[in-house]
Amino acid sequence: MTAQAQLLPGTLDLLILKAVSLGPLHGYGVLLRIEQISGGALLVEQGALYPALFRLVRQGLLKASWGTSDNNRRAKFYELTSAGRKRLRQEADGWNRLAAAIASALDTRPEEV
Amino acid sequence: MKFFAYLRSLASALFHRSHVEAEMDEELSAHIQIRADDLERCGLPRPEAERRARIEFGGVERFKEEVRDTRWETGLENFFRDFQYALRNLCKDRRFSLIAILALALGIGACTIVFSVVYSALFDALPYKYFSRSVDVKLHNLESGRDSKDRTYFSTEEVRAFREQNHIFEDVIVFQGFRPAYDNGHFVRNFPFGMLVTANTFDYLGVPPLLGRTISQEDGSPNAPPVFVMNYRFWQREFDGDPKILNTSFTLNGIPTTLVGIMPVQFNAFGSNFWQPFRQDQIRGALMGRLKPGVSVQVAAADLDAIAHRLQKPNPGGIFPEDKFSILPETLLDSLIGNFKKTLYALLAAVLLLLLIACSNVANLFLARATARQREIAVRATLGATRGRLIRQLLVESFAVALAAAATGCVLAYFGLKVVVAMIPAGTLPEETVIRMNAPVLLLSLGMTMLTTILCGLAPALHALQGELQPRLASSGKGTGGSFRHGKLRAALVVSEVALSIVLLTGAGLLMRSFFVLTRVDLGFDPKNVVYFQLNLSPSYFFKWGDAASTKNSLEKKNALTRQLLARMQAVPGVTSVSELNNPPPLASEASDTIIPGKPHDQRWETTIDECSEGYFQTLGLPLLRGRFLSEDDMSAARHVAVVNETFARRYFPNEDAIGHKVKFGNLDLRFVETPHDIYFEIVGIVGDFKTRDYGNPSWQTVPQAFMPYSVAGYSWRSFMARSTVDPNLLLKTFTRELRALDPSVEIAESGTLESALHKFYRGPQFELVTLASFAGIGLVLVLIGVFSVMAYTVALRTHEIGVRMTLGAQQTNILRIVILNGLRLVAAGILIGLFVSFGVTRLLASEITGVSATDPLTFAAVALIVVVVGLAACLFPARRATRIDPLVALRYE
Repeated sequence: MTAQAQLLPGTLDLLILKAVSLGPLHGYGVLLRIEQISGGALLVEQGALYPALFRLVRQGLLKASWGTSDNNRRAKFYELTSAGRKRLRQEADGWNRLAAAIASALDTRPEEV
Repeated sequence: MKFFAYLRSLASALFHRSHVEAEMDEELSAHIQIRADDLERCGLPRPEAERRARIEFGGVERFKEEVRDTRWETGLENFFRDFQYALRNLCKDRRFSLIAILALALGIGACTIVFSVVYSALFDALPYKYFSRSVDVKLHNLESGRDSKDRTYFSTEEVRAFREQNHIFEDVIVFQGFRPAYDNGHFVRNFPFGMLVTANTFDYLGVPPLLGRTISQEDGSPNAPPVFVMNYRFWQREFDGDPKILNTSFTLNGIPTTLVGIMPVQFNAFGSNFWQPFRQDQIRGALMGRLKPGVSVQVAAADLDAIAHRLQKPNPGGIFPEDKFSILPETLLDSLIGNFKKTLYALLAAVLLLLLIACSNVANLFLARATARQREIAVRATLGATRGRLIRQLLVESFAVALAAAATGCVLAYFGLKVVVAMIPAGTLPEETVIRMNAPVLLLSLGMTMLTTILCGLAPALHALQGELQPRLASSGKGTGGSFRHGKLRAALVVSEVALSIVLLTGAGLLMRSFFVLTRVDLGFDPKNVVYFQLNLSPSYFFKWGDAASTKNSLEKKNALTRQLLARMQAVPGVTSVSELNNPPPLASEASDTIIPGKPHDQRWETTIDECSEGYFQTLGLPLLRGRFLSEDDMSAARHVAVVNETFARRYFPNEDAIGHKVKFGNLDLRFVETPHDIYFEIVGIVGDFKTRDYGNPSWQTVPQAFMPYSVAGYSWRSFMARSTVDPNLLLKTFTRELRALDPSVEIAESGTLESALHKFYRGPQFELVTLASFAGIGLVLVLIGVFSVMAYTVALRTHEIGVRMTLGAQQTNILRIVILNGLRLVAAGILIGLFVSFGVTRLLASEITGVSATDPLTFAAVALIVVVVGLAACLFPARRATRIDPLVALRYE
């Protein structure tokens, strides 16, 4: 079993946007997708997901519509709006810059100083 | 785009709330079902799969609540839900709610009344355009000594200089009082007081006429036909509001003048009955200007002062003849309201104190309630209510109370305002001012409601949430010791309440003492049953300036009228004595320079002089100390004799007998052509002093006085008074009839009883006293409620303890003592602090009180005593309830 990491604050929105960007998903699907794309390293608490989804819909980054799931159940599907796509790009860039900076900081050896 | 999406979701959320909720339910249950499907696929039986899915998801309701919290409309919803809840709660605890609402309503109502008066008097006083920028101009004479007077009257050259050379006024108007002779076809009489005004005046004031037109610029041109505009009241009084008189001609000073307009009732510029344009070359009189925006009164003063001094230097004795002077503009509002402003500020301070008392009272009630509801609050917190949510809930409750109080307060204010307006002494506010409740004031009251909500609700709310929840849940509903800290806050509130009311009470007490000093003063004359009236002589009694024969003729005519009128008045049944005089006492007559041969003096000696007839002393009831009164012979022979008062004799003849000495009064030479000049009067008698005062000066004075026969000086200023054994008001009609029989052209200008004239002086202080005393009384009631509710609550909290004490043998008196001492300790602390604060604050009232010191120990002691008694009364009822506690019940009281 892979070691699970704590979600940093603010990263949940980013992960949801990323998960939905790969194709329309219902709430449970978003959970599975995040688990899948993070290789099981990131687990989202089930109930915390919905307030986040509602928030993103309210911000106009996601749009929701009713559809049918694989196992024939009526479920609400979320997909990215153009604003959501733009935000995902920005957040991803920001995150990558931060990650790179932290990584390089952590890699620093004494002789490089 | 995003914005519209937002609006849409908001609208749908608000209007289809149940729909949104249902969708949320469906979405979450779908989530659980899909998860259960997955688990089932892994081999779990369906029921177990669903159970697991539900457990994994956690509390559905909690997540739903979190989702709801992401939307602000939930806040609004919660507010309404809290409001409903609050109303339910308040209805359940009706006694609490009524007391709280009543207390706050008294505070808010009193505030609304005073705000209405302040707003109407200071911000909305006059109907004139930009009145707040209008200033009067006054010349202040810096020369001290004889005959130095300030003036607001400016000559033609002075007016022209100010109008042409100033840099500060947008527009300037000039006006001058005058009284033309009006020929009504039968006889010539005086028109009432009117004004000559510059042609731009009506444009400047900006009030449209009720009928016809106002005076326009063209009316000021030299060849324009003479016109005038009438005041509403004059129109109603003398012409019964007949619109047909418009555009008719009136013969004023012999010139046919057309009435072109009538002004509305609110328009009353310069207290005039009618207005007529100046002749272009004769513009002089009082000056009023509208400051350019942003120009201060100080800048205006400097500019006008510079103009005046530039003109004075090359023309000594000519234009601006005073040696040393300064020009002082004053805003129109200040010159009209002046002294009343101070009263208003005092009332404002008092009413804010009252509001504070009401707030601390209600805060206390809320605190007691919050403490009693500790368990409920603890339960709510445990069930997941956040701190903010609980505080909001408690604040909403106080908001509901404040709202109800504001509504009640506004109703109270509506009626209270009528009473207050009726009490405002006539003449303190301009006639144009209408005091009423209006939108800005109501908005302010609403603001106060918000403020009181926070003041009353926040502290108890924060307090209720402090500390650990666990012990509260564990303890019984009526905790025993846990409320120690709350007890301290409650005590502090009661102490401050008592202290604030002490400040109010000492203020009111000092005013009351001062009022008694003012009204109970021994005036030295008897004002009972004395009526007076003043004549408005017609032009036939006037004389030509510089024409000796005309002056003499005028004097004889006036004296003849006076003699005949006095005889007729004396003959009226019920009249015991009559007299001619200048000014009805206690109004001081003009002070004159006093010259006594053989007694040189550096300082100016001043005596107020009165021309009167022989009945003066009997009518006022002045005692004769030495010598004799004036006699009928003195009148008919116009003898140069005078009676002086005791102060005169003592001050100017300290070591000798004043009788037989001669005295001259400078004013007779100085100002009046109608008086024979350079006369020395022989002192023939000394009478007792009586007290006098001016309208501007609040204190009684005893000044040197002298009385001479009216026949010596031929003033046009004639007043009469009569003492009677019947109601003096009934006599006035008879006197008017007698006067009309003597000469129909002469009218009575002003009349009344001496007592009513005296009351005019009392009405200002009376207004302050009554309003402040009512506020102090309300404050006292609030204190009574406050102390009572806290003591009742404390007793309820300590029921258990009292039960224990009684079981252990405590007597009822012991219990009574404990409770009362407890309450009195708070009251005593409040009294001490309050007295201390009053000691510092009452100095601000010093200018309003006379005859008592601002730190009068008697008042302070009386106030403290009253509050002790009230505090004791408030403690007594809860204390007696405490003694009736049944120990057995109390011990089981869990």
